Amino acid sequence: MDIVNLASAQQAVALLFSEPQYWLVVIPGIIIGLFFGATPGLQTSMAMAIFLPMTMYMDFLQAMLFLTAIFTGSGFGAGVPAILMNIPGTSSAIATAFDGYPMARKGEHNEALGLALGSSTFGVLLGYILLFFLIKPMSLFVLKLGPSEMFIVILWGLTLIASLTGKHVVKGLIAGLVGLLVGTIGFSDNGILRGTMGLDILADGIPVIPAMMGMFAASELFKLVKSEFLVEDESQRKVRISYILKGFRKAFSYPVILIRGSLIGVIIGAVPGVGSSVSNLLSYIETKRRDKDPDSYGKGNPKGVIASESANSTSEAGSMATLLALGIPGGGATAVMLAAFAMHNITGGPQFIREQMDVVYAIIFANFAQAFLLIILGLLLIPVLASIIKVKMTYLVPSVLVLATAGSFGLTGNMSGPGTVLVFALVGWVFRRYNFSVPAAVIGMLLGKMAEGSLVQTLQISGGEFSYILQRPITIAILVLLIFSLFGSKLIEKLTKKAK
Amino acid sequence: MTLSKEKIANSIVILCLATFVLWYALNAHNASSSLENMILILPIASITLCLCIYEFFTQKEDLEKKDDFLTVLPVMILFAAYVFSLEYLGFDLGTVLFLAASLYIHGEKRLPWVIGYSLVYGFIIAYFFSMMLPYPMPMTFLPTDY
Repeated sequence: MDIVNLASAQQAVALLFSEPQYWLVVIPGIIIGLFFGATPGLQTSMAMAIFLPMTMYMDFLQAMLFLTAIFTGSGFGAGVPAILMNIPGTSSAIATAFDGYPMARKGEHNEALGLALGSSTFGVLLGYILLFFLIKPMSLFVLKLGPSEMFIVILWGLTLIASLTGKHVVKGLIAGLVGLLVGTIGFSDNGILRGTMGLDILADGIPVIPAMMGMFAASELFKLVKSEFLVEDESQRKVRISYILKGFRKAFSYPVILIRGSLIGVIIGAVPGVGSSVSNLLSYIETKRRDKDPDSYGKGNPKGVIASESANSTSEAGSMATLLALGIPGGGATAVMLAAFAMHNITGGPQFIREQMDVVYAIIFANFAQAFLLIILGLLLIPVLASIIKVKMTYLVPSVLVLATAGSFGLTGNMSGPGTVLVFALVGWVFRRYNFSVPAAVIGMLLGKMAEGSLVQTLQISGGEFSYILQRPITIAILVLLIFSLFGSKLIEKLTKKAK
Repeated sequence: MTLSKEKIANSIVILCLATFVLWYALNAHNASSSLENMILILPIASITLCLCIYEFFTQKEDLEKKDDFLTVLPVMILFAAYVFSLEYLGFDLGTVLFLAASLYIHGEKRLPWVIGYSLVYGFIIAYFFSMMLPYPMPMTFLPTDY
């Protein structure tokens, strides 16, 4: 089997330059994405859904370029509030906030934003290069992933909880497991209603993104009321392009972290339903675990930002792989793209790959260009977005709370969003005060329903026989990887000590 | 044995979490005791309860400096009042009033600034979201079909 179809690649280049309007939609797309990503509460999928009707008047390729441009811009944009306000605009930027926000509080916001931009553009570029070479083999591999493999991948995500908690490991585990249970509230896959306390709005479960906004942002804002500015030192409260560029360049001085993050992003991003929400955390934890000074993470280590941003932006290529090759959306954003497919009477999947490989390659090539455009537009727009650090806390705290509240309404379409932000802001404040890990609880909530769904499916397929797992080599392989990632370094350390 | 205030508060948090876990497991079991329903909830609840018991009996004195609850309480109350009032006051009026009250409480005593900022920011946010979102938002002054 040929991995790359050269004739189709040539046709793709010709196709892209046949009509100038293909490129006219890319710049507005990236700006829309940056804007939506950087506004807490506005999601990538929401931006794409709002602008989806416009693609009706475009041809299929132009529509895909417009939508992927929004996707690219918002992938980086979500990191901006994560760094400046500790609000991960989407679940894919959770790990960016871990070190990005402490960097901002130390006055290193310019560098952190530059690091995020550098890592994001690298991630998008490498992700699509990998997609170019791997789209055919990946489509075959993803088809082989069943619920048991999905469960093990989720379990992998969950084991991160223990590593996220520093010296309060037991409290971290409690927070993560409680989060996992909270994530299963509402109707189960089998139609059983649990834990709603009679509230109809909880039938679909706790709205996770508003809960995340409450736990991460609002609870932190309560704490900041006493501070005068986000960055206490006035001399460091400046937005400087030179420092942003320094951060941008610095991202490339950690090639191993960038490449590892991108590989994790592309692989996990290709798993439907898991995607960038888990990949940024996996990459962060792997980087922290392998570092000589793991205790410096969470306190403003630039490597944390690079690990997270390189992985979440690469997930875009991963999720595009499953969409293009299988017609399966990996998440909200690709689900909107699937709607665009339907609007143009196109069905993704092996037949699409076989018959319209030139269009697939054209989308991939256009994304190479988008990565470079993101650098230019990002550098132009970051100073506007970063000027937030000059605002007094007296103004910033209520303004961001208002933004989070309106954004959460936008996510749910009713008052359950703002209500969730309020409840989880209080829970988050208590968790922070008594050292129960907030990120662990959020990860648990994100993965709860997914974990239960894959476990139930595994049970149904296997008929309750545990030996089923032994017949799934990919499950075993991922399980071995999981165990190795948990205990491997300690084992190697012990063996080296013994050898010495 | 003397218990510090911090330790008592920490114990209360652990007990609250354990109570929630126990209640949720029982609630799920009462809804359906089938294997499909309990396959994840039962093992996770059991492990969490064991960890809560362990943490309850082995907790150590935490010497880290903590936020003072009393400084945070007014913000929490104001934010709660804002969220609860939205349905009645709408996003436009509710937001303006919340911003004005927050600014004043947190030390901004220049009334033109308080009123000006609250009106401008409040209405911009309410208008922006009402225009961008595909569903109606509650409003007092801005047009809505909520």
